[in-house]
Amino acid sequence: MRCRMLCGAHRNGIVIRFEQVSKRYPAGGAALEGVSFALEAAEMAFVTGHSGAGKSTLLKLIGLLERPSSGAVMVAGRNLRQTRGQAIARHRRAVGMVFQDHRVLLDRTVQANVELPLVVAGVPGPERARRARAALDKVGLGGMEQRLPSRLSTGEQQRVGIARAIVARPPVLLADEPTGNLDPQLAVEIMQLFAEFQAIGTTVVVATHDLLLIKRIRKRVLVLDHGRLVDDVPAGEVAA
Amino acid sequence: MSATEGKRVQPGAAVARWWRAHRWALGQSLARLREHPLGTLLTVAVMGLALALPLSFYLVLVNLAHFGQVLGEGQSINVFLDASATPAMATLLAQGLRAEPVVAAVVVKSPQQGLAELASLQGFGPAIAAMPENPLPWVLVVEPRASAGTANVRRLVARLRADARVAQVQDQGPFRDRLAALRAFGGRLMLTLAALLALAAMLVVGASVRNDIQGRAQEIEVLQLVGAGASFVRRPYLYAGLWLGLLSGLVAIGVTLALEAALAGPAARLDAVWGGRLGLATLDPRPLLVMVLAAAMLGWLGARLASARHLAVSEPG
Repeated sequence: MRCRMLCGAHRNGIVIRFEQVSKRYPAGGAALEGVSFALEAAEMAFVTGHSGAGKSTLLKLIGLLERPSSGAVMVAGRNLRQTRGQAIARHRRAVGMVFQDHRVLLDRTVQANVELPLVVAGVPGPERARRARAALDKVGLGGMEQRLPSRLSTGEQQRVGIARAIVARPPVLLADEPTGNLDPQLAVEIMQLFAEFQAIGTTVVVATHDLLLIKRIRKRVLVLDHGRLVDDVPAGEVAA
Repeated sequence: MSATEGKRVQPGAAVARWWRAHRWALGQSLARLREHPLGTLLTVAVMGLALALPLSFYLVLVNLAHFGQVLGEGQSINVFLDASATPAMATLLAQGLRAEPVVAAVVVKSPQQGLAELASLQGFGPAIAAMPENPLPWVLVVEPRASAGTANVRRLVARLRADARVAQVQDQGPFRDRLAALRAFGGRLMLTLAALLALAAMLVVGASVRNDIQGRAQEIEVLQLVGAGASFVRRPYLYAGLWLGLLSGLVAIGVTLALEAALAGPAARLDAVWGGRLGLATLDPRPLLVMVLAAAMLGWLGARLASARHLAVSEPG
C-alpha cells in the first residue's frame, strides 16, 4: 500500500488535532461544541463522559465516519474536511476501529473476519493467515480461527472485532467502548494490549465510561460533557 | 506505523496485489452464486431463455436467407433475342452480360437446343416434328449473383428490355423483391427483439445483484470501515453478474441447439422434397461465441448499473 496517509506521524509529532470542532446533527442538536486538543504519535488517551457526551462522535470524526459541522479535524497534518473518494478509503485503512457493537460478520469464520483489513490491503494469503492467527492469539482467541462468530459469546465477538482492528497494525487505533461486553479481568488485558500497541508507536484513542479501568491503566484522559471538552488530564496526573 | 502502510510498493508488488484483489473477488462471487443455488438457477434460466429467442430467430433468418439463395437459382432471367438475331449477336450480348458485376453466369441456348429441350418434354415430340421450321429464337439464361441486390437486378432487366436485339425478357423480379423484403423485415424484427430481450436479461441480472447487495449491507459496511474502496466492494458483484451472463449465454446456446436438433427431422424431409438442394444451415461457432460474450457483457453491465447506486464509498455525514 502506498504511504499516503499518516506516514509522517512520527516526524510531525502531532498525529490528531482538533481545532474548535463542532458537530451538530439536523435532528439531535450539538454532539460536540468547540472541542480542541492534540494527540501526539504513540500517545494513548481515554475519552470519557456520560452517555451522549459526544465520545462516539469524536471517534467517528477521527475515523472519517462523520465530518465536523465547523472547525478542523487534522490527522497526520491532513484536514479531513477535504478528504474525498478513494482518500476516505485510504484514511480508513490507516485507522483501526473497534466498535461497541463489534460489527463482525456472523456468516464468516473468525479468521475470515480478522483477515478482512489485510484482504483489502492486498496482503498475500499465507501472511494474512499468519497475522490473523497472531492477532487472535493476542486477544485470547487462539485456536478459534475456524469457528463462526455466531457460536461465540458476545465478549468473544468483541475480541474478534479488536483482533480485526489491530491485525493490519494501523498507526491510529480507535476503540468505542471496547470492553463493555468483557469481564473486568479481560477488559484490563485488552487495555494492556492497547498500551502495548501504543508502546510500538500506535496512537490509541479509547472511548469509555469505565472510570475504574481509566484509573488502572493511567493514560491521558479527555473528559467530555454535553459535547464540550471540560477536562484534559495528562497521564501522569490520573489518580490511581 | 503499519507494516502495510509504511512501504513504497514496487510495480511488481502492485500487480501482485491487484491480482490478489481480483482473485479474492472471483472467489467471493462464485461463493455467492453457490450460496443461493436456486436463485442462481432461476436467474440463469430466465436470462438464458430470453437470450435463446433472438438466437433461434437468427437461426431462422439464416435459413430464410439460404432458402432465398437456393430458390433464387431457379429464378434466372430468360432473355429471348429477336428472331433476326445471329449467333454472333447472341455471343456478343452474352459476353457483355458476363462482364456485368451483378451477373453470376450466362448460358447461351441456340434455337436447336431450345427445340431439343422442348422435344424432350412428354407429348411435344410429334408436334415439333410436324413443324416446317424452327420458330424458337436464341435465348440467354442470365443468373444474377446472390449478392447482387434486387435494385441492381431490376436495373439490368430494364436495360435488357430496352435493348433492340432483345424481343422479350422473362424475370421473376417480384419474387426476389418479396424475398428481400421478408429478409429485411425479419432482420429488423430480430434486432428489435434481441435489443428488448437483452435489456430484459440485463435487468434480471441487475435485480438479482441488487437483492444480493441489499442482503449484504452489513458486510459492505464493514468492508468500507476497514478501508475498502468503491471498486473493491463492487468487484465481487460485477464478477457475479459476469458469471450469471456467461452461464445464461451457455443456456441460450443449449436451448438453441436443442431446438435445432428437434427440427432436424422435419428439415431433412423438407430438404429431400427439394431434391437435396436446400441443405439447411446450422449455427456456426462464431455467433455462438458472440452470444456467450454478449451475455457475459450484459450480466456485467446489469451488475454495474445495480451496484453503481448502492456501493459508492459511504461518504461521511
